[in-house]
Amino acid sequence: MDKIKAAITLGVVCLILTMAICVQIRTMNSVNQEVSKTFEENSLRDEVLKWKEKNDEITKQLDNAEKKLAKVRTDATKDDETASSIEEQITENNNLLGLTDVVGQGVEITLKDDPNATIESIGVFGDISEHIIHDADLRVIVNELKNSGAEAISINGERLVNTTAITCIGNVIKVNDERISSPFTIKAIGLPESLASIDRPGGYVEFIREYGIVFTMKRSNNIEIPKYSGVISAKNMVTQN
Amino acid sequence: MNKNKLVMVIVVCAVSAIFFTVIFAQFKTVEETDVTGIRTAREEELQTMLSEYKTKYEEMEEKLTDTQNRIEEYEKMITTNENDSELLEEELQQTNMLVGKTDVVGEGVIVTLTDNQEKSIEPSDLRTLINELKLAGAEAISINDKRVLNMTEIVEVNGGTILVNTERVTSPYVVKAIGDKTYLSSALSLKNSGFIDTTNKVGKSAQMKAENKVEINAYNSDKKQLSFKYAKEVEE
Repeated sequence: MDKIKAAITLGVVCLILTMAICVQIRTMNSVNQEVSKTFEENSLRDEVLKWKEKNDEITKQLDNAEKKLAKVRTDATKDDETASSIEEQITENNNLLGLTDVVGQGVEITLKDDPNATIESIGVFGDISEHIIHDADLRVIVNELKNSGAEAISINGERLVNTTAITCIGNVIKVNDERISSPFTIKAIGLPESLASIDRPGGYVEFIREYGIVFTMKRSNNIEIPKYSGVISAKNMVTQN
Repeated sequence: MNKNKLVMVIVVCAVSAIFFTVIFAQFKTVEETDVTGIRTAREEELQTMLSEYKTKYEEMEEKLTDTQNRIEEYEKMITTNENDSELLEEELQQTNMLVGKTDVVGEGVIVTLTDNQEKSIEPSDLRTLINELKLAGAEAISINDKRVLNMTEIVEVNGGTILVNTERVTSPYVVKAIGDKTYLSSALSLKNSGFIDTTNKVGKSAQMKAENKVEINAYNSDKKQLSFKYAKEVEE
C-alpha cells in the first residue's frame, strides 16, 4: 500500500514539475520577445530622432530662404511704384498667414493643472481628469481670445494659423501636430484691456478655476509671437474667377 | 522503513520548493505581460511621429525649392533691371488665396447641422467640427458662407444667437470644407468616435456629403477687418 501511495505522490509531483518546466520555457520565450521588441523600438526611436534632426535642419534652411526672399523681393520692386505696392500686399498676406515673427501689446496667460490634486483630495468618487487641462479647454480659451480681437496667438511657442487643430492623443495635447504639455503659455497680441476680459465673473476661466486649474494673466507691451514653422499650402483648392 | 519515509518526505519537500519557485516565476511573467501593453502603444506613437515628420519634411522640401527659385528670379530682376510683374502677381494671388481673400473651389465635404425638436446646435458643436476638419487637413472652411479663418470666433450671445466673424448664423448650419474629400469624409464618419456619429448619438442632427466641387466664399466681414492693428512684424 505504501509503495502505491509513494508512486502516486511522485507521479503527481512529476506532472506538476513538467507543467512548471513548460511554463518556465514559455516565460523565457516571452522575455526574449520582449527584448527584441525593445530593440526594435529603440531603432524606431533612433529613426524618429534622425527625422526630427532632418526637420530642424530644413526648417532653418527654409526660414533663411524666406527671409532672403522677402529681402530680394523688396530690393527688386523698390524702384517701381506698382510693383512695390504689390510687394507690400504680399508681405501683409504673409503676416496674416502667421509666416512671420510678430511683436506687439497683448497678454501672456499661464495655465497649470491643479497642483493640489491628489488621490486623497479627490476621493474615490472624484474624477482626476476634471483637475487637468484638456484640449477642449485650450480651444475655448483661444476662441475667447479671438472673440476679444486677438491678432496673433501662440500656445507653448506654436503659432496658431488657418489650419491649426488643437487635439489630444492620450494625455498629450497636440497643436499643429507638435506635442505640448502643462504648464501652457498662451500669448496673444491685441488690445490688452479687451483680451483681459476673458477672465471675468461667470466666464470660462472662473469655471476652470473652481476645479483648481491655475490661471494667471499678465499684460505686456512687448509680446513676441514666433512664426509658424510648417508649410501652409493649397493642394485641393484653386481661386475661382 | 522509517528511514524510507524520511527520504520520501525530503523528496516531496524539495519538489514542493521547486514548485513554489516556478509559481513565483509565473507571477513575474504575468506582471511583465502588463507592461507589454504599454510598450506596444508607445511603438504606435513612434510610428505616428515618424510619418508626421516625413510628411512635414516633404512639404518643407518642396517649399524650399520653390522659395529658392523665386529668390533666383527676383535676383535676375535686380540685375537685368527689368520688371517681372507676372512673378509678383502670381505670388500675390497665391497668398491672397491662402489668407482667404478670394472665392475658392475644390473637392471636399459639406456638413449640415440642424436644430431639431429636442436638441439645438451649440457653438461648441460648430467649434468641434471646425477643429476636426482642420485636423483632417481642410484648406478652406465656411459656416453659412461666413469664411472661417485663423482669428474667426464662434460664440454665443444673448442666450442662443451664434456669431461667426461677428455676424449672426442660424440653423441649418451648412459647413463647407475644401480638402481631400476621402480623408475628410472618413475622418468625420468614423464609427462611434467620428463627429457625425457622436453628434447623432446625443440626439442632434448632423449629415455629411462628400462632393467633387465645393465652392467657398472669400472672407467678407466688414466689422472684423482682415488686417493687423497691434501686431508688427519683427524687424531683424
